[in-house]
Amino acid sequence: MSGSVVSRWAAGTAVGLVALSAFPLVWMLLASLTPEARLFDSAALWRGPFVLDHYRALWSERAFWVPIRNSTVVAGTTTLFAVTIGGACAYGLARLRFRGRYALLAFVLAVSMFPQISLIAPLYLLLRAAGLINSYPGLVLPYLTFAMPLTIWLLVGYFRQLPAELEEAAAMDGASRLRTLIEITAPLAWPGIATTAILTFVYCWNEFLFALSFTLGPERHTVPVAIALFRGQYQVPWGQILAAAVVATVPVVLLVVLFQRRIVQGLTTGALKG
Amino acid sequence: MMGRLAVKQESRAALALVSPAIAVIALVAIAPMVWTLWESLHLHDLRMPWLGQPFVGLDNYAAALGDARFRGALLHTGGFVLASVSLELALGLVFALAMSRARRGRALIRVVVLLSWAVPTVVAALVWRFMFEGDSGIVPAALRAAGAIPPGFSFFVDPLAAWIPIVVADAWKMTPFVALLLLAGLESIEPALYDAARMDGAGPWRQFREITLPLLRPALLVAILFRALDAFRVFDVIYVLTGGGPGTSTEPIALYIFNTLLQHLRFGYGSALSVIVFLGTFVLALAYIRLLGRSLLEERTA
Amino acid sequence: MLCFPTLSCRGSGDPGRLIFSGSAVGREAEVVRSQLARWSAERGVEVEIRATPDSADQRHQLYVQWLNARSPEPDVLQLDVVWTPEFAAAGWLLPLDRFGPDLADFFPASIEANRWNGALYGLPWFVDVGMLYWRTDLLARAPATFDELAAAARDAMRSPGVRFGLVWQGARYEGLVTVFLEHLGGFGGRILDDNGAVVVDSEASVRALTWMRDAIHVDGIVPAAALTWHEEETRFAFQNGAAAMMRNWPYAHALLESADSAVAGRFAVAAMPAVRGAGEPTAALGGSQLAVNARSRRPDEAWALVEFLTAPEQMLERARVVGQLPPRPALYEQGEGLEGALGIAPEAAREIVAAAKPRPATPVYTQLSEILQIRLHRALTRQQEPRAALEDAAREMRALLERTGLAGGGRLRSHAG
Repeated sequence: MSGSVVSRWAAGTAVGLVALSAFPLVWMLLASLTPEARLFDSAALWRGPFVLDHYRALWSERAFWVPIRNSTVVAGTTTLFAVTIGGACAYGLARLRFRGRYALLAFVLAVSMFPQISLIAPLYLLLRAAGLINSYPGLVLPYLTFAMPLTIWLLVGYFRQLPAELEEAAAMDGASRLRTLIEITAPLAWPGIATTAILTFVYCWNEFLFALSFTLGPERHTVPVAIALFRGQYQVPWGQILAAAVVATVPVVLLVVLFQRRIVQGLTTGALKG
Repeated sequence: MMGRLAVKQESRAALALVSPAIAVIALVAIAPMVWTLWESLHLHDLRMPWLGQPFVGLDNYAAALGDARFRGALLHTGGFVLASVSLELALGLVFALAMSRARRGRALIRVVVLLSWAVPTVVAALVWRFMFEGDSGIVPAALRAAGAIPPGFSFFVDPLAAWIPIVVADAWKMTPFVALLLLAGLESIEPALYDAARMDGAGPWRQFREITLPLLRPALLVAILFRALDAFRVFDVIYVLTGGGPGTSTEPIALYIFNTLLQHLRFGYGSALSVIVFLGTFVLALAYIRLLGRSLLEERTA
Repeated sequence: MLCFPTLSCRGSGDPGRLIFSGSAVGREAEVVRSQLARWSAERGVEVEIRATPDSADQRHQLYVQWLNARSPEPDVLQLDVVWTPEFAAAGWLLPLDRFGPDLADFFPASIEANRWNGALYGLPWFVDVGMLYWRTDLLARAPATFDELAAAARDAMRSPGVRFGLVWQGARYEGLVTVFLEHLGGFGGRILDDNGAVVVDSEASVRALTWMRDAIHVDGIVPAAALTWHEEETRFAFQNGAAAMMRNWPYAHALLESADSAVAGRFAVAAMPAVRGAGEPTAALGGSQLAVNARSRRPDEAWALVEFLTAPEQMLERARVVGQLPPRPALYEQGEGLEGALGIAPEAAREIVAAAKPRPATPVYTQLSEILQIRLHRALTRQQEPRAALEDAAREMRALLERTGLAGGGRLRSHAG
């Protein structure tokens, strides 16, 4: 095969990949703008007319801003806690030498692989005893189960990549560890921290199982749960569901578009050796 | 070299930095896991408080072995893992190879490909449900037009066919991620090796077999294990697409445990099932750690 | 820690408000809303309706989820007649005896269905009874025995357009158990005896189930399709004139008299038949009751609301607007206002309700029912002989009762250790 045939094939496949990835999302967007009666008429989705009825209904009938608020609060709080506490831990693991360092990291890695479903029973009983079912803390705590290992894992990778010389120089100049941390390390690590925060936020935003198990009603449902449980009186309200899906996807889409390079780096760093 | 005092100071500092995280993890992950083990040895039905929580030893585990629905769930999960991982790996490799050649539009490809990763699984499942729905979803409509399925055929009513939308939705969501993983692996292969091979007269297929595949092995293994671990825990996509139905024919382990715990309120038995799942994941995870764990903190020579 | 000033930490609303939860479909919703508004205005307490899915199974699941999580809401719940022992035994309902409710005016069977371990956990709100709808233009009179029914069905099927002699709900769900219960009572059998022991494998049961199976596969008076039907499918069959007789709940009456019914004015309602000397006409008792959440933060208000909704005036209003039968015998007397509301003469209705048989009141009823449903359906689809199916069912049911410490019938035995 000649080089140009290969590269034509490659280009074609790449285009195919883009089309396949994008098609369902485009379809979802088009359907969310199509009146309910024409939703299953495939041709109509392309032609229009396009209406905003479903989005209006989300606001007026479904109070969809409530799940959005819930998801934002929970994902934001979890990310905040995970990045700060996990970041401190990651710094210690990456920079300091102490016994059990490797064991600790393996431990963190192991915890990140706990199947969520196995934690439902004890977490449920724990949260119920504390009266935290259907509350914000009642979601943040379980979320830390996966958010902490994730942030630790990612940030260890980033901290390791930072050149140690600057810190060592500051130490030799007599700066305390804390000052070094704040004035030198943090600004350097900022991109890594930001990426970790973004990835953590996305995982929390998209989380479903814990939210389904530990919330009881619309006042504390997160976005994925709210959409999955949309109930119509007589039939499935596809128009509204898809409009809600679009709204649910917008924040993560924004994050992806703005930070795509970082995210890819983060994802592949986390999975392969740095 | 650091003096002994310095080492001790480091250890104290390390402890200070590390302990909050360990404490949180111990609280939300370790303690619950131990509790699950404890629960699994007791009878605990939340609908029958008068039965108390008597110790029943391994009765729950024995019951699990004899539970046909559990065995079915294991089978479904195993089948799903096989189907989705092989599909995603094959497609992912193809796309990674294509992307490694494509010089232009990298950013666009990356964005679009990341979108499917970033979209909540629930959203992906709902969109695919919409596209596979009944008679007039775009997929059955197209298949019927092509004569591939009879009219009146509904994917979600047939126990085997219901798996198709599930695997498709999962593949749609995760193949790009696999492709990115493999792409990173591909790009770490020295181009010089290919040049040398080309000068030796090796065609693209031989290059692939003798250079790409062997050098890509670590990345492939990581991708397989990563995806297998995820697929083993599948919940969201099946819950939304079929709810485990029709009947229980698409019910995976995680959904069966969810139903046992939160529908039937059988916490003792559900905990035993949870432990079994945990052990299965542990075996997979052990392999994963072996592969990766050592390398992160190793000092590598340039 | 995580409580923002404007947002409450917990997802539950302010405690000055009562939450009411129940089914609210169509006309029911209107009545419920207006009655709640009336009480709210009188009493000065805000009441909010929390919507639940229409399907009883889904509502059950939602209640289990809320109550098991120890949520204080909803304060007042509408329960299906077979859920009360289950929820009471789990500790989720408030015993109502302390409010000193006046029970004299209710049908005894309804009250019994709301007792668990001697305490009262709910007040009946409306009752449903299984009835035999029959075509007055095809049959001379309502059949009193099963033999008469079979003969009348064969006869009626000779008329043009009448494809089915008798239709009932035969899908594998709770409805099938109620249908079976009515045949069972007609043959003199029971599911549980007075001591709570399982007797569903008695000779009478085998005869009843065999009669049902033969009605489909031997006599051909009941269509095999009925084995996938729920209430609505059977109603359509009768409403379109394709069936000579139908077993269904009272809700169908108003719909059958409506403009799109092909049988309006040509049908009547009677009790299910029985075997002379062995059984008696049996109607399965259905319906709903109101209960109070054990963790409600305003139990006194909640009780006041329950009392109000189950008062005679409110029940009469429901009967007139929705056509649901009130569980108070006194309302069926002449001049009380039920005439014309029910589609059958009040005295006839009262007789049927008074004789109605409740399903076993046990916390594990749902599980018992599922065992029975599976076996009944197997026998009816000829995958198993009725005797074997019932023996298997009885065995599994006994094992379940034993395992859950309920074999003493209502009296709980806790496991040792």
